[in-house]
Amino acid sequence: MSAMLNLKEIERRAFRSTYQDGLWDMLWGAIVMAMAISLHRPEDGYSPANIIVATVVPVVAYGFFWVGKKLITLPRMGQVRFGPARKQKGRTLAIILGIVVLVQVGIVGLTALGWLDPQMGAKINDFLADHSLERLAVAALGSLFVGPAMILIAYFSDFPRGYYIAIMMSLAVFLMILLNRPIYALIIGGLILLPGLVLFVSFLKRYPLSQERVSHE
Amino acid sequence: MSEITGSRDYSALAEIDRLVHEPARLAVMALLYVVESADFTFLMNQTGLSWGNLSAHMSKLEEAGYLQVEKSFKGRRPNTNLRLTTAGRSAFQEYRRRLKQMLDDLPE
Repeated sequence: MSAMLNLKEIERRAFRSTYQDGLWDMLWGAIVMAMAISLHRPEDGYSPANIIVATVVPVVAYGFFWVGKKLITLPRMGQVRFGPARKQKGRTLAIILGIVVLVQVGIVGLTALGWLDPQMGAKINDFLADHSLERLAVAALGSLFVGPAMILIAYFSDFPRGYYIAIMMSLAVFLMILLNRPIYALIIGGLILLPGLVLFVSFLKRYPLSQERVSHE
Repeated sequence: MSEITGSRDYSALAEIDRLVHEPARLAVMALLYVVESADFTFLMNQTGLSWGNLSAHMSKLEEAGYLQVEKSFKGRRPNTNLRLTTAGRSAFQEYRRRLKQMLDDLPE
């Protein structure tokens, strides 16, 4: 009886059940795999194909995510509207992510200013005299761009697997920038996508679309 | 549950709302209490009740005025959306209060 009246646990379980289709994991996995193209610096420079593929893959992945939620998950799992506390968490997350993006834009802006200002550029060059250190610093900064943002998403969305995704995403960005080999992002993206795929298959088995579920109750 | 009479110690138990006390209905009400609204399929999956069972309990709660049921179509698919009414929320709160009080009053 006490378990039945543990309202926080009931709400949390209901909320987390909305992630059990694995679609979010697959979306993030595909985005990391797209990084194999977007963060890769080809020897002969970027081609339009690079940019097109790097843009198209996340858009297509998001399209699959949206269609999957609408046509596969919701008819099987049902729909729910959560209470004001969850909505407030969503708003807080949006505000914090907005601030994070502003900070990131600020850092990129300052870097651009550094490029434009010869004195500042010289100072940065002195600091990063060693080329490998420069790449290491950019790799670390790149992983700091994605990791904390994903951790915030995981925390405010009550999505425990998000912490794993955050670590893997940071690692993918770090290795891609440092070593410039697409294979790392592909493997790490696959390691995010694969558990999602397993969850998706088990979700389909667990929630079949029976006639009973589609008839009017 | 047999009728409880003649004991002051168990008076709180006798006052418990039996409509809410039934485990399946309690599960439905507890879930609807923590969310704004949910559809029939979501409730079925969360509570583990069969279609017929949930439908029967839903009707009882609706008759008592604890549940608001909205039937609509989402595209071609029928959809039954459920939410607790103000009376339903109050009944659930009162049920929790009484049950807690009763359990707290039990001797060690």
